Amino acid sequence: MNKRPRIILYSLVGLSVVISFFPIVWLVLTSLKNTAGIYSWPVQYWPDPLTFQNYWSIFTETPELLRYVLNSFIVGVGCTVLTLSVGGLAGYALSRLRMRFAGVLMVIILSVSMFPPIALLPALFQTFLNLGLLNSFTGLILAHTGLFLPYTVWMLASYFRTLPVEIEEAARLDGMGFLRIFFSIILPLSWPGFVATGLIVFIFSWNEFPLSLVLMTQDAMRTAPVGISLYPGEFAFPWETISTATVIAIIPVLVITAIFQKQILGGLTAGSGK
Amino acid sequence: MANVSLQQIGKSYGGAVAVEAFNLEIRDGEFLVLLGPSGCGKSTTLRMIAGLESITRGDLLIGDARMNNVDPKNRGVAMVFQNYALYPHKTVAENMGMALKLQKMPKAEIEERIAGVADMLGLTAYLDRKPGSLSGGQRQRVAIGRAIVRTPEVFLFDEPLSNLDAKLRVKMRMELQELHDRLGVTSVYVTHDQVEAMTLADRIVIMDGGVIAQVGTPREVYDKPATEFVAGFIGSPAMNLMTMQSAADGSWRSNESQLVLPRLPGFDTKGANTIRVGIRPEHMTILDASAVGDDPWILPGKVMLAELLGADALLTLSVCGETMTARVNGVDYPEQGQQLAVRLNPEQLHAFDHDSKKALQV
Amino acid sequence: MNAFNTLERRTQFVGIGFVTPTFLVIALILVYPVVQSIVLSVGQSSVDGFEPYRFVGLEHYAALMDDERFWRSLSVTLIFTAISIPLELVLGVGLALLMNESFHGKGLARLAVLFPWALPTALNALIWRWMYNADYGLFNAVGLESGIIGEPVNWLGDETLAMASMVIVSVWKTSSFMALIILAGLQSIPRDLYEAGRMDGMSRWQEFREITLPLLKGSIMVALIIRSMDALRTFELPFSLTDGGPDSATETLSLYAYKVIFEFVEFNAGSAIVVVQFAVIFLLSLLYIFTLRHKD
Ligand SMILES: Nc1ncnc2c1ncn2[C@@H]1O[C@H](COP(=O)(O)OP(=O)(O)OP(=O)(O)O)[C@@H](O)[C@H]1O
Ligand SMILES: [Mg+2]
Repeated sequence: MNKRPRIILYSLVGLSVVISFFPIVWLVLTSLKNTAGIYSWPVQYWPDPLTFQNYWSIFTETPELLRYVLNSFIVGVGCTVLTLSVGGLAGYALSRLRMRFAGVLMVIILSVSMFPPIALLPALFQTFLNLGLLNSFTGLILAHTGLFLPYTVWMLASYFRTLPVEIEEAARLDGMGFLRIFFSIILPLSWPGFVATGLIVFIFSWNEFPLSLVLMTQDAMRTAPVGISLYPGEFAFPWETISTATVIAIIPVLVITAIFQKQILGGLTAGSGK
Repeated sequence: MANVSLQQIGKSYGGAVAVEAFNLEIRDGEFLVLLGPSGCGKSTTLRMIAGLESITRGDLLIGDARMNNVDPKNRGVAMVFQNYALYPHKTVAENMGMALKLQKMPKAEIEERIAGVADMLGLTAYLDRKPGSLSGGQRQRVAIGRAIVRTPEVFLFDEPLSNLDAKLRVKMRMELQELHDRLGVTSVYVTHDQVEAMTLADRIVIMDGGVIAQVGTPREVYDKPATEFVAGFIGSPAMNLMTMQSAADGSWRSNESQLVLPRLPGFDTKGANTIRVGIRPEHMTILDASAVGDDPWILPGKVMLAELLGADALLTLSVCGETMTARVNGVDYPEQGQQLAVRLNPEQLHAFDHDSKKALQV
Repeated sequence: MNAFNTLERRTQFVGIGFVTPTFLVIALILVYPVVQSIVLSVGQSSVDGFEPYRFVGLEHYAALMDDERFWRSLSVTLIFTAISIPLELVLGVGLALLMNESFHGKGLARLAVLFPWALPTALNALIWRWMYNADYGLFNAVGLESGIIGEPVNWLGDETLAMASMVIVSVWKTSSFMALIILAGLQSIPRDLYEAGRMDGMSRWQEFREITLPLLKGSIMVALIIRSMDALRTFELPFSLTDGGPDSATETLSLYAYKVIFEFVEFNAGSAIVVVQFAVIFLLSLLYIFTLRHKD
């Protein structure tokens, strides 16, 4: 390539990077301003003074915002573990055990994944109310697991299909049962697939909104996106607190994404192959 | 050690039949080779013996016990796979000892057995390595070692050498042969490589489209192919086959060329109008063009193409308008375009029924 | 043959054992609620079971037909989808083509594509809400200073502008996802096709028209299906950005249904909306599958 297209290419890349990052940058800058700096006109582009006061305040004055982040963690980890174990077994059976109707079952799983979450809300709320699962981690973990199982089963099944089937056959001749094959052969061989799927499911769960909103009605049980969105309540928006809480709530997903960008990218694009 | 008995075994996938009414008695200690073109059902048959594939019809007996519904691990069989199928996350020793460990054999005994087999296969230095760091040949040795360690009743091999390069293949083939002589375990070996089949087998089963075309020693399938398919499949280059019509005087004539052959001695051609006559390239004698004369088995020909293979040369001939291949000594052979005479040795002719494709009785 | 003890059967039973937990969870969390929503939508009851369920037929649906706010939310949803998806597609293809080039700083570019995807939509909406702020927002500040706008704009206060603002947030967040799927498709196009194209004397634009685009059709379709379904059930974006305002101008079907169910506590009427939404998405997915089949 000659010089001119190179320059155009880099300008376009630079532009995309800037557009992608500026809201996050602006968010962080806002969180580092004091209240006067936030509500000032003309707008302060650079915090003056630059202060961590808002972060300090969150820890001392509004610890409930941290509680939301903790809740998101509990739900995210629980949902990821449950989804991977339940969905892993199903993905294995559907891709490798030559089950009758495996194709039909896969299509059913794909179809139910298109159900809009809002359509689940009335009945799920009622059922969870009756079962005493409202405002419980168990309940929301179960709900998220249901929501993200279809994706998990499809991802893992397509991953298992890339493993040579002979290894499993050798294991059967060696005397392993299917459960043992799954745990001591499939699992160690496909951990990259599990890692990618698990990270994505964790992010899905962290970001999930409608079910988390409806199934956790007590303030102390809310997840981060819901809790922070509802925090302002009826009154004016305390942007210094909201921006700071938002930074704290998005750090986990952004850090995970930054560290595991290759795995996540692979996981997101693999699913679209079919 | 045990004999293996396949009685009317069949396998269908949905409606598609992969193996049909397979009948075979494999003797104790025998080295049996399943040979045939791709997709003929060799692997399927082997995998039914292993228990990796369910049996649709018929009975499988290993050492006189019916095995149709016995789990693979309880059949007393060990299998060597084409792509080795080693556990990549376990060491060589762990790979070899897995079955014994699962049988809850004492650790000391497992180690002793692994050490013995590793010694036999020259793997001692690699026991703590993972398969990823081994060469193809070493991996295949581990796969074989894993099978031996279990002291199975039956060894099953599915094209175990086809992932190796040509030189290594020859070496491993000889090692397998030695191993069989030493251990004497009943073995079933799938391949589509004739040379492997001919050199390793006590008996060869040639399959075609899910059915057995012929069972016999390497000598028998080469000398007396039971069907036209076997005749064409065994031997390289393939046997020359000509379609001939019977004439009133008892001679045979080709419709497509001027080829005329005298009455075929020793074949029961009664009632046959059209037959297929075959002769192997290595059974044709090349003579000077002037040799054509009284002997009706000497025919005039012309070299269309001469190819040197090394020790031998292949001649593509036009014999009375019929294209044939002859295999001759590679030192001194006729050139392209040369006129010559060919003698088809009547003792080495083959004849098949045109419709049933079966060999005509001698 | 004793039916239960064949090798085949045993394998099948193991398989059934392995898939059962998944199908139990799916049945409880996904299938049963949808069926129950349909049941609720043709009856009258109370959440706590105090008022016993009474079948009322299509009463709630009939009421919807006369409900202007319902029609408004349906049209908001469809307009939002119809505007943002094509924009995302164009940007997504462009971004994917860009990502497919080789340049220094790939890692940073990859993050730029992944971050918007990873950001929780609800919090993303909050971030933008602050930037749209009429009094202290970034956009007004930059706009005024650069002279693009003459006076402060109330981005979220005007019906048309609010919809446009919402579309922008959505396009910003999801174009990159579109790009990811299309990028995967791009990378599966064999390199030598382009070399053959060059031998045939194609220009870059012809290469794109004759090779890239036709071979990308499948990926584009997949991306469109996934994104359209997402857009049709958009919920937390207006929830956090505008709360549906001003005057329902950004109230999507999902948001309206949520309000009917949980703010007006009309479970049965809300279920009817939910069922309609479900049907729209279902029809759309059929339409897509049909065109997909029809194309090849
Ligand atoms: N799981 C399956 N489902 C449907 N058909 C199958 C399946 N496995 C094998 N077959 C069919 O059964 C026939 C026999 O296959 P098999 O694998 O036994 O052939 P093979 O002789 O081992 O060939 P190759 O030399 O290529 O390994 C083939 O026609 C194949 O297409
Ligand atoms: Mg095979």
